[in-house]
Amino acid sequence: MSEPVLSARGLSKSFPSGDARLEVLRGVDLDVAQGESISVRGESGSGKSTLLNLLAGLDAPDSGTVAWEGSRDTGARRRASYLGMVFQSFYLVPELDALANVLLARRILGGADRAARDRALELLGSVGLAGRAHHLPSHLSGGERQRVALARALMNSPRLILADEPTGNLDEGTGSSVVDLLLGLCLSANAALVLVTHNGLHAAKTRRSLVLHAGRLEAPLTA
Amino acid sequence: MPWYVHLALRQLFPTGRWFPFFTLISTLGVALGVALLVIVMSVMGGFAYEIRHMIVDTEGEVQVVARGGIADYPSLVKRVESVPGVEAATPYARDEVMIRFKDKPAYPVLRGLDLSSVERVTQLGRYVRVGSLDDLDDDSIILSAQLAASVGASVGDAIEVYSPLIVDRLSADEVFLPRQVRVVGILEIGHQQLDSSTAYGTLRLAQDLYGLGSTVHGIDVRLKPGVNEDDAAARINAALPEDIRALSWEDSFSDFLWVLNLERGMIFFLLLFIVIVAAFSVTSSLLISVVRKTREIGLLGALGGRPVHVAACFCAQGLLIGILGTAAGLALGFTALAFRNNVVLWITRVTQREEVLRRFYQFSELPSHTSGSTVALIVALTVAISTLAGLLPAWKAARLKPVEALRSE
Repeated sequence: MSEPVLSARGLSKSFPSGDARLEVLRGVDLDVAQGESISVRGESGSGKSTLLNLLAGLDAPDSGTVAWEGSRDTGARRRASYLGMVFQSFYLVPELDALANVLLARRILGGADRAARDRALELLGSVGLAGRAHHLPSHLSGGERQRVALARALMNSPRLILADEPTGNLDEGTGSSVVDLLLGLCLSANAALVLVTHNGLHAAKTRRSLVLHAGRLEAPLTA
Repeated sequence: MPWYVHLALRQLFPTGRWFPFFTLISTLGVALGVALLVIVMSVMGGFAYEIRHMIVDTEGEVQVVARGGIADYPSLVKRVESVPGVEAATPYARDEVMIRFKDKPAYPVLRGLDLSSVERVTQLGRYVRVGSLDDLDDDSIILSAQLAASVGASVGDAIEVYSPLIVDRLSADEVFLPRQVRVVGILEIGHQQLDSSTAYGTLRLAQDLYGLGSTVHGIDVRLKPGVNEDDAAARINAALPEDIRALSWEDSFSDFLWVLNLERGMIFFLLLFIVIVAAFSVTSSLLISVVRKTREIGLLGALGGRPVHVAACFCAQGLLIGILGTAAGLALGFTALAFRNNVVLWITRVTQREEVLRRFYQFSELPSHTSGSTVALIVALTVAISTLAGLLPAWKAARLKPVEALRSE
């Protein structure tokens, strides 16, 4: 059996809170297989974003390990090729048009040649923005910005997509279409997805649903 | 192109905006500093260059002098001319005299020229505005323009020349009559000091006036093109007796040149502070940019950008502003230099001070000479200072942790 795309063991994380420490994660275990989609729900402040940051290698756990395909190398260089991230606030670079924002992921990985540009245009086409490649983020709607962010996350053909409440700033209808698009793109790219969301309907669209409660990942009470 | 340079370019020149305000102001600050440095250093260089030209044009590049004069000058001229690198040599005699025309006296230096060789060494003929060097004989004289104007003499007038020997003769109870000479030319070099206090006659006339007999005061030497003056002076010295010395024009005017270089150095140092102040403004703008773009910096980390590359993005912005500002400053500076005389002329006409300018600054036009090494120094220092201006913002950006930057409001 092949190594899981993402494997977390005993992840714990706490933050200072006055004189004490607030334990946010208490020994989280998680395995994500290739092409699998998982949703993580939880109350506000339950530690969903903290978990995602640890899984992305952006933050270090107090204890526990994160491995990508068995390797504990989660540094910047590997992250650029292995991981795609989608955020609630889109985080597009305002000075770059949609195409350049998508290409930025490839530039950071190293080299944005003609083939990369063609792929970026193809990705923008696949998220329905072929005609808006040269529009600045300020000229795009919220849903369009998030679709540009999806295209950027997929630019380097990552094995794993981590999405942190990607519909948080969108209305219900737009949010639903963005999640459908995200799931479809991950499926066609055979990329694993960890989707952090508040929305039960969106969570239900993933293959496996988990709830972060009291610092641990649990299966939801009702399927 | 590395992503951090691409992003730096895009942040300075975002898509759809030609020249953003931050870029414009930062570039303008650097450009003004560079332009001022170029203009001032070129004008100061122009003064030095013009002075060198005037000295070399009127006295050659090397002077051979001896305490008490040179007696057997024809053989010495031949010996000097045989030194490698020497084009020609001409003897001269020079001292102060008093001239008088219609009761108006003046006290110029009268320089006696050997007419057979002087034009092979000096460019005096070029500066004769009325008449010609060929019109000179032992009973005539050429006056510099302001000297002629000050005594009211013009070509054809007869003037009296009083030799310094008059004092000796009077003390010996001898009657000493002034020498009557005709003015056969007016010469204008363009340097106030030379144009107001110099007269030219034949070598014979000067020797008579100074009681030199067949002795001369020195020998002017012109070198072949490209020959170093100091090297040539050293070679000539090797061929001369020990009591006769050859000095390059730079040696002869070393004190003056040292003061000139000191002035240039001090002004360069002071004007460089304009570039440094402009660099502080770049630093301040980039620091604001780091704060404003905190979440974007976090994003770059999340996308796999390394801190050193995030830092390079901000350093590159300082570098690019430095390059742009330097280019704009050079263009502005050289354009201002091209029109400098029009500007000065306009100011002097409006203020009616043309004569004052000439009297105090010696030149009829504002000189300019830009040396390549000075421009290279200005460019190198400005680009380096501007790049350094990006270091503090770069360091701040590199220290941001992606996870904290993404969380910032």
